[in-house]
Amino acid sequence: MWIYDKKLQYPVKIKTPNANAAKVIVSQLGGADGELAASMRYLHQRYSVPYGEIVGTLTDIGTEELAHLEIIAAILYQLTKGLSVDEIKRAGYDTTFVDHTLGLYPASAAGVPFDMKYVGVKGDLIADLNEDLAAEQKARVTYDNILRLVDDPDVRDPIKYLRERELVHYQRFGDSLRIAQERLDAKNFYAFNPSFDRK
Amino acid sequence: MNENRCDLLRKVQAEDFAVYETVLYLDTHPFDRKAFEYYADHRNNVTRLRSEYSGRFGPLTIYDNTDPGAWNWVDTPFPWEKEAN
Repeated sequence: MWIYDKKLQYPVKIKTPNANAAKVIVSQLGGADGELAASMRYLHQRYSVPYGEIVGTLTDIGTEELAHLEIIAAILYQLTKGLSVDEIKRAGYDTTFVDHTLGLYPASAAGVPFDMKYVGVKGDLIADLNEDLAAEQKARVTYDNILRLVDDPDVRDPIKYLRERELVHYQRFGDSLRIAQERLDAKNFYAFNPSFDRK
Repeated sequence: MNENRCDLLRKVQAEDFAVYETVLYLDTHPFDRKAFEYYADHRNNVTRLRSEYSGRFGPLTIYDNTDPGAWNWVDTPFPWEKEAN
């Protein structure tokens, strides 16, 4: 189970609402490489994994991704709070507003709603860990692109924090892959799937 | 937010972060003694700071309701509010 902690993992304190920034940052809420996809990916992959170190890594990184989902939501919430209809129209946020008002709906910047099709659960340790390594890099690139598009230091600061976490998670999944391979047949890593085959 | 509350919250967040970062590392390096000691030190700080914070400024988890006569979980701002940070 999970226990709610009534604080953000990293503070978000945005002085100036900005719907233009919210329009692109929403991709990290509900886009293909966003935090919802990340948390769902790791928290669902973990069940068939036979090695405790890797189950722990998937559980703890998956849990941290839920905290990151909340940081992104806090950024979007503060960026859109108190906007007038005029400001919403001027920023082109009206296409979101018409369906969701100022509610936060997980979708990509292009408006595509979140989809579990973004998430791979192959049930094969090497395949899943390679997906996770790629996912962390893709999320890092999305954050790099957000940093190219957004100037406000109040917004950039938590985005930089989240970007850095992608690098740490990539490192931990690299350790996980090493541990998995050390326990497999060194002459043929694919000789059997430790998440399925009995040896 | 009250300056004291903000300062103390930052300390809780920093110590929590130190613990979580070390937990991720220990998952794949369970026999690293130095990392374990680092974890234990910061875990003690977390326990102390969280209890101080919830005693003075309200609950961080549902187990922290320190007001004997009232349910105060919903009285403090939720974390996505600017004033909660």
